[in-house]
Amino acid sequence: MNLIRLQRMPIATPRVAFAFRVASVLLALFTTAIALSISGRSPVALGAKVISSTFGSSFGLEDLALLFSPLVYCGLSVAVALRIGAWNIGAEGQFNFGAFCATGVALFVQGPTWVILPLMALAGMIGGALWILIPTLARAYADVSELITTLLMNFVAILLVYWVATGPWLDPSGMALATTSRLPVSVPTLWGIVHWGPLVAIFLAIALALFVTYTRWGYEVRIAGANPGAARYAGMPVKTQLIGIMLLSGAIAGLGGMMEVAGTVGRLQGGISNNYGYIGIMVAVLARAAPIGVLATAFFMAVLLNGGIVLQSQGLTTHTVLAVTGLILLYAAIGDEMAHYKILHTKAKDI
Amino acid sequence: MDIIAGLIQTAFLAGGVLALAALGEVLAERVGVVNLGVEGLIALGAMSAVATVVSTGSAWLGLLVALFVGFCSGMIFATATVIIRANQILCGLALTYIGTGMAATIGKPFSGSPVPVTFEDLHIPFLSDLPFFGRAFFSHNILVYVIFLALPLALHYMMFYTRHGLNMRAVGENPAAADAAGISVIKMRFWYTSLGSALAAGAGAYLTLSFVPSWSEGVVAGRGWIAVALVIFAGFRPINAVLAGLLFGFVTALGFTGQARNWPIASSILSMLPYLGTMALMILPVMTWQRMRRLMAAPEGITAPYYRDQR
Repeated sequence: MNLIRLQRMPIATPRVAFAFRVASVLLALFTTAIALSISGRSPVALGAKVISSTFGSSFGLEDLALLFSPLVYCGLSVAVALRIGAWNIGAEGQFNFGAFCATGVALFVQGPTWVILPLMALAGMIGGALWILIPTLARAYADVSELITTLLMNFVAILLVYWVATGPWLDPSGMALATTSRLPVSVPTLWGIVHWGPLVAIFLAIALALFVTYTRWGYEVRIAGANPGAARYAGMPVKTQLIGIMLLSGAIAGLGGMMEVAGTVGRLQGGISNNYGYIGIMVAVLARAAPIGVLATAFFMAVLLNGGIVLQSQGLTTHTVLAVTGLILLYAAIGDEMAHYKILHTKAKDI
Repeated sequence: MDIIAGLIQTAFLAGGVLALAALGEVLAERVGVVNLGVEGLIALGAMSAVATVVSTGSAWLGLLVALFVGFCSGMIFATATVIIRANQILCGLALTYIGTGMAATIGKPFSGSPVPVTFEDLHIPFLSDLPFFGRAFFSHNILVYVIFLALPLALHYMMFYTRHGLNMRAVGENPAAADAAGISVIKMRFWYTSLGSALAAGAGAYLTLSFVPSWSEGVVAGRGWIAVALVIFAGFRPINAVLAGLLFGFVTALGFTGQARNWPIASSILSMLPYLGTMALMILPVMTWQRMRRLMAAPEGITAPYYRDQR
């Protein structure tokens, strides 16, 4: 007689893990379809509409590229921190503060575009890094969970942007409500309304992937993330690594904010981050914190977000996409654990 | 004096949400499960309470439905984290996203409209008529007394003075030892996580049925995350958690008073106070007093799933 039993393995094989990832996404979409049909909407018709409005026209593709860009920056930001075992739940805040700093440069520094734009990018990155500085130091020196501190900073950044956009930096022309005036410089466009943001994001992902895979620094970060004790014992500067990586993580999200305000939106306004930071966590987790994988999952999430805009015209809110995101995350987490199990066939005489 | 009495009164009212959600989180974390879904649970509870009250007109029924919704969501979360043993952080974030998203989607039809029935303030003979104290401490609705008095004392007694409480804490500190002593780790974790989720959703009902009597998308505004942070600050103790909630109610009340009295500070800046205050309270104590770290330490077995065959 053959017995079948489940054995938990210490690591999941990549192929099985990937299969579970795909299955979890499909299952989440299926669950959403059921929920939609219960609420009296046709999931097939909605799905077709999402696909046709996204891929059917150049407008749809341009929108897709513009949604793709912030998701890659935020996804990379979270992924980089995850490499060393830190949870940056604050990409949303760093994105906002990066946009805030870049706007400050654009509004108050005069000069030719080729000087101002790099300066704005620098300001965005420094801003993002500054916004994660306190959680980073608290984690490194007082062992305070960065998960909650980075998250709390989100609310502060969002309130700050809302405040300057409705108060001190409010468009003086009186034409616009609750936003700054149009920035005098903008990121040049490449194709239609698509600016350099998405392309820079792709280059950044490739650069990070090479860095993580081929440099000593990337190797040490991986070791420090996998086993801090062993890394310390081997003489690696774990604390310095942690601080460096977390600041880099903030800087990437801040750059994303700069691209958003100087490329896509053109002015600073409340809610500019539009949950990108939170969805970025999802992008990073689905990609298993691999920079190249982030490109794929960010593309998928951009399609989903674009779908959310279509859903909005059907009486649903953009938050519906957040719920779908959560569903994918839940199934992915469960799938991750299940991928560790192996089915063993044991012959009765072996026992 | 009137200002101070008003401040204290608002502090209880505003702090109740944080206190109740933090109590729920204490239960979950004491058995070794970090539930980061509090934010989503509050949103779900708040929305379902309003939906119930709009259609039935009973505030108690609203609270009951919210507790039930929270309990069911908690059972789903516990199935994923305790039984399947999936990553608690990911599942918690997922719960927050699902709860926030679903509450916003389902609650859209009655977003922004005031709630017809709320929990009325109790008038306690003699006590409510006292000058100062009457307004500050004795003119609240019944939930405030439950949240700040009955529940924390009961939980404190249960956790620290009964055998069941000892078992419960053992599961959070050292699940392997608890298991060896014959305590069911899975059952303990499953039910307390679900119960904690119910309390978080109850905090949502309290939010929309007594504090801000209406439902809208952004009404939760990070309170769930503050509650999670307060649990750490409170050293995972129910009475401390409630006091921390009150302290933050006070910070919120200060912001309100500032707005109402036209202090020369923008309201957005005043709204930052609770978040900045939470940051400070998470970081400063452990930096100042080394001893605090041990005294207020988290349960040893927190976030680690328990595998009986891999001790």
